Amino acid sequence: MDPFETKVVRGMTMRKDPAREPCFAVADTDDQMISWPDWTDESKRERIHRHMNNEISTAEVAAQCLCDFPDAPWELRMELARQVWDESRHAMGLYRRLKELGGHKGEFPVANFEWAVSSYLDSVIGRITVMNRTFEAGTMDLMAFIPDGWRAHGDPETAELLDAIAADEIQHVRFANHWVHKLCAENKRNLIKVAQAVGFMDAAQKAIAPPPGSTNLVGVSVEDVSQSAPINVADRQLADFTDDEIAVLLKKHDLESLVNRQEAGVRQ
Amino acid sequence: MSIRLNVKQRANTVGTLRFLSVFLMETLARWIPMTPEMEVKMLLSRQVWRMAQQADRLGRRANELRAPLHYNRTPRHAFLAAFKQLAAVTDTIDRIDAFHDVALPALATAYKSYLAETDQLTDEPTVMICNQALGEIETMRRERNEWGSEIPKPRTPDSDALKAVRQAVAAANNDVVDQSEQVA
Repeated sequence: MDPFETKVVRGMTMRKDPAREPCFAVADTDDQMISWPDWTDESKRERIHRHMNNEISTAEVAAQCLCDFPDAPWELRMELARQVWDESRHAMGLYRRLKELGGHKGEFPVANFEWAVSSYLDSVIGRITVMNRTFEAGTMDLMAFIPDGWRAHGDPETAELLDAIAADEIQHVRFANHWVHKLCAENKRNLIKVAQAVGFMDAAQKAIAPPPGSTNLVGVSVEDVSQSAPINVADRQLADFTDDEIAVLLKKHDLESLVNRQEAGVRQ
Repeated sequence: MSIRLNVKQRANTVGTLRFLSVFLMETLARWIPMTPEMEVKMLLSRQVWRMAQQADRLGRRANELRAPLHYNRTPRHAFLAAFKQLAAVTDTIDRIDAFHDVALPALATAYKSYLAETDQLTDEPTVMICNQALGEIETMRRERNEWGSEIPKPRTPDSDALKAVRQAVAAANNDVVDQSEQVA
């Protein structure tokens, strides 16, 4: 793996951002971003714009894995190559929709947190643990609800686009699950790499979290626009999380009472 | 005589074509984060998957020709040096055209050369892979000009860097596969 440039954000060293056109203002933290809790036309465009950049960033993480880890198993590299293509189609679909809604690239600030954390890690298992199995799985949870939000606000076109993207993301999480389990079974030392990767991600998330009461660039409380969702049990099962892993996640989210429903395959 | 390439020679060529496909896949992947223009990133991302699929098919075919699964064989030194020079270009337009207008035609020439040499009947599985790859190369070259509205047009005349790459690849393009025994 070639050496790379880093940046320090609130005391945390991470990988320097990937290249962006000058029209983009690149932020490091949520309080440097713009977002609104409501569903005005501007807010809708910002949601799409942010998601578009996230897809680009994910394509970049997968692409960087292809050149940083030439000795990774070929079948895993094929999955990563496919992911690069998938994420590029997602980004272009969102860009198309952004323009249809009167927006343009660079209209809002963007952040590359997932790249900065994932691509800092020095093992392919660490990167797919963080990027696919954590960040993308988290997006999968959100995507169980987000398309309905767009439908409820009169935009079935964007809802369908997001649902198509969500279907692809399941495979990205699934292959990460497959390879993390396989590589750990083959070599127990990989468990340490997984633990280190998760530890680094947790530390980075804590470091960049704005202090309580922070507002973003348009004066909106960061807490009011932070996104979280219950565990999307159905899609996590499709993505080959084991029942035990899902139960742990539900417990972590204080949803222990739902474990039995999950075991029965009920979509949360 | 119909059989002009023996099994070993076929495997050598298939392994070399796979090496080149993987090399180009990795080159594109390296360029994606360091290229600022969004639509260019996305164009390169499409081609990563195409190159991976070509490499995958060749790698499986190599195994049917008594070579290891996903056998990679280094091309002749001059050709490899030319491709390394190509991978080192830094300008966005140069990158787009180094891949679509220099590397892909060179790869197509290698596929066509193999098709002209091998026996179309006994080596039909490889023939099918080559023909599929040639179709994909045509698609990729077409996409350079037709996909996305924000992909910059080719520079006329070429930059000095791209001109040098063209010359290096052209000079080495007639002798890509090393059929000697000592190559890994």
